[in-house]
Amino acid sequence: MLTHVLSIVADGVLLGLIYAITGLGLSLVLGVMGIVNVAHSAFVMLGSFLAFELFRRFGVDPVVAFVLALPVFFVLGIVVYRVVITRVQSAAQTQGLVAMFGLMVLIENLGTIAWTTDTRVVTASYTNASLVLGGVVLPHVRLIAGGLALLLIGGVWAFLRFTLTGRAIRAMGQNPEAARIVGVDIARLSAVMFGLGIACAGAAGVALAMVFPFSPNTQVVWLAWAFLVVILGGLGSVASTLAAGIAVGLIQSVCTAVMPFDTVYLVLYVLLAVILTVRREGLSRAVRRTI
Amino acid sequence: MFSVFLIPKATGSRTAALAAWGVWLALLAGLAAYGLFGTRLFVLSTLATVFMYVVLTQAWNLLGGYGGYLNFGLVTFFGIGAYTTGILFQYHELSPFLTAPLAGVAAAIAGLAIGIPTLRLRGAYFALVTMIVTFAVQILALDLTITQGALGIYLPALPLKPIAVERLFYFVFLGLAVLVTALVWAVEHSNIGWALVAIREDEDAAEIVGVRTVEVKWAVNAVTCFIAGVVGGLYAQRIAYIEPTGTFAFDISLNVVLMAVIGGAGFWQGPLIGAPIVLLVADMLRVTVTSEVNRVIFSMIVILIALFVPGGVMGVVSRWRRARQPKPEDAAASGLPAP
Amino acid sequence: MTAPPLRIAGLHAGYVPGHPILRGVDLVAEAGRITVVLGPNGAGKSTLLKVVAGFLAPLRGSVMLGDDDIGALPAHRHVALGIGLLPQGRSTFPDLTVEENIELGGWSMRNDRRRLAEAVEAVLTRYPHLRALRRRAAGSLSGGQQRAVEIARMLVPDPRVLLVDEPSVGLSPIVARQVYQELQALRAEGRTILLVDQDVRAAIAVADYVYVLGSGRNDIEGDRSAFEGDLGAMVRGWLGV
Repeated sequence: MLTHVLSIVADGVLLGLIYAITGLGLSLVLGVMGIVNVAHSAFVMLGSFLAFELFRRFGVDPVVAFVLALPVFFVLGIVVYRVVITRVQSAAQTQGLVAMFGLMVLIENLGTIAWTTDTRVVTASYTNASLVLGGVVLPHVRLIAGGLALLLIGGVWAFLRFTLTGRAIRAMGQNPEAARIVGVDIARLSAVMFGLGIACAGAAGVALAMVFPFSPNTQVVWLAWAFLVVILGGLGSVASTLAAGIAVGLIQSVCTAVMPFDTVYLVLYVLLAVILTVRREGLSRAVRRTI
Repeated sequence: MFSVFLIPKATGSRTAALAAWGVWLALLAGLAAYGLFGTRLFVLSTLATVFMYVVLTQAWNLLGGYGGYLNFGLVTFFGIGAYTTGILFQYHELSPFLTAPLAGVAAAIAGLAIGIPTLRLRGAYFALVTMIVTFAVQILALDLTITQGALGIYLPALPLKPIAVERLFYFVFLGLAVLVTALVWAVEHSNIGWALVAIREDEDAAEIVGVRTVEVKWAVNAVTCFIAGVVGGLYAQRIAYIEPTGTFAFDISLNVVLMAVIGGAGFWQGPLIGAPIVLLVADMLRVTVTSEVNRVIFSMIVILIALFVPGGVMGVVSRWRRARQPKPEDAAASGLPAP
Repeated sequence: MTAPPLRIAGLHAGYVPGHPILRGVDLVAEAGRITVVLGPNGAGKSTLLKVVAGFLAPLRGSVMLGDDDIGALPAHRHVALGIGLLPQGRSTFPDLTVEENIELGGWSMRNDRRRLAEAVEAVLTRYPHLRALRRRAAGSLSGGQQRAVEIARMLVPDPRVLLVDEPSVGLSPIVARQVYQELQALRAEGRTILLVDQDVRAAIAVADYVYVLGSGRNDIEGDRSAFEGDLGAMVRGWLGV
């Protein structure tokens, strides 16, 4: 019985770490820049396929793909920021939402053209190996994916907390006018911030691909997960995003243990509606302008 | 914010306005005549689908176009409507033509359930939740016994020849399209319309001047969902078989957004222009490319419109009309007092 | 080290096309002097400062810093030219500590970390009471303390030109007096100070030269002595103070 409980907890925490990085990019971009990126999960999906292609073509381990995803998606995020977001930032928010919605559809369907709607998995040499600790079975992939996620969260936290650029990003989120007064080039730093958010999305895609099967047209599910983490954890705070991710992971692993798999989704959706209702004050205050 | 006040209420001269109404009425008369005397099944069926999408897009236009609250998952409410008439037929043998209003009510209730938590927040949250909630409802339809899961529900074909069926739905959807377009026109020219535009342009200011923003959004969203539910309910009869994947297909949500954005969200004419463009182009493309390529093309068009052509076709038209009007600067130069 | 003068000539600026707020402002702010701009509400005082600080592009006219036209430069480039802005109202980063706030004042020196650290240290030495508060979140401080943080943050890159917008709004009279004393101390260091203010008495008391802005133009100007006498009473009456 105890081992059963322990393995549910371990499972939930490891999954939760991955969910935390899935929500992290969405939370930072929303909290600092006030942009609700509805295309977030499309980038998560691209991250999964980066891992898939690197493994299939070159036999590259997903751990390497995780590290590679960060610069690749950082640059991708900056490009998207420059091409799409700078153009709609001064316009009505509906235009921005429509543009990002179009981008999501575009990426999803380019993904479908490239990889069809077949469900894919990424298998590494250690896919079927597990670590057994006192009767609790910990699959290597989950340990590695969870560990990578924790490292990324720690890295982002340290970046925002201890570097001057990170502090400038936080300052920009708190008072963009004052940030300009001290000489911060808002457009440039926002591009960096958005790039960071997309980098997290891409890396999250790699971590998810290690654990779950995936296909281009199911990416919106991860948007639901990411959003759940964001509204549970609040905006723009790395530490609370981590806590929220673990909470979602635990809820899922407990539910999976006691009910059919599909029902778990419904529980999480209901949770989403409830938290949204309860937390609305905090959410409306933080969003100054939204895309 | 200022743009609200800068749009002249009556554009163009009186004769031009009359001519525009004449064109719309002639078009309507022509379509009615084709419905009565047309014999090509394919054309009748395609046009019936165009009308169906006009209704859906007009419904979307109310909250999305005028109010700026984008529903990226309209199919949720459409599908709930379809399942309502499907289930009522399955267990009570009631014709969807009778139960379509109930389908609308069921969809409106679902709309309230989603709208009440999300519409207190700003538009992006509503957009995001509507986008992801389709999945949850689809799972429900798969899991519940009443919906018969992946098996779906069969409705009997109407005891009519295929062309008569198409003719029937042609007029049903044409009638609804006229009705709903009239509703949207009326809303555009009413206080609700002004309240919605105020919400879209500057919600804080709208609240300050006394618009009960949250209640307006709830009510208009319920109307939008009601219409989508009615259309879904009738659609169930039209295709005579509903199952979770097809009935809650993301494509329907996507099409509605495409049509509104391309035609012009926030104009009553927008869906009338957008729906035929999207469907006819999609039909033409279908022969040569896969549906993915089709969506790639349309999503790029939507991004380009959002970035460079706000308001779609109608946005261009209204800017062109305004350019022909005397400008406020000219009025100031002519010695009139500046505001 | 002398600061370059700030010369504004024929300045037109506004928010809505066709309705300029500023319609031909000419003024000069000399080094080592406090140049005060007064005017009734809506005369365009804040708009003037927004243009000089780069938050609003001028429609016509020039803003010269020494020999450089800075009118078209965006706000974030001004710091590197030696211009500091103390905006109206609160402008700290509330969730960052006092030290982090001050450090960000030196954002333009970020490529030379040693110089940045020295500059932060110098400012903390100048305002020793902030050193004691340096680990506190800026948002948890009193209004006066936050004003001190804002002044300290502005001084990190050692700006030669200071733009100050209604510095005493929302502060207690004692703190407000300290702020004006600090402005005088900054003038004594040879900086160019352009002060826009509603508090006519306090501003004239520290002014070297005064401009009065009315409906988008500067109508009246003169040095302080001219405003301390009858003209002062007239202007005060005119402003309704």
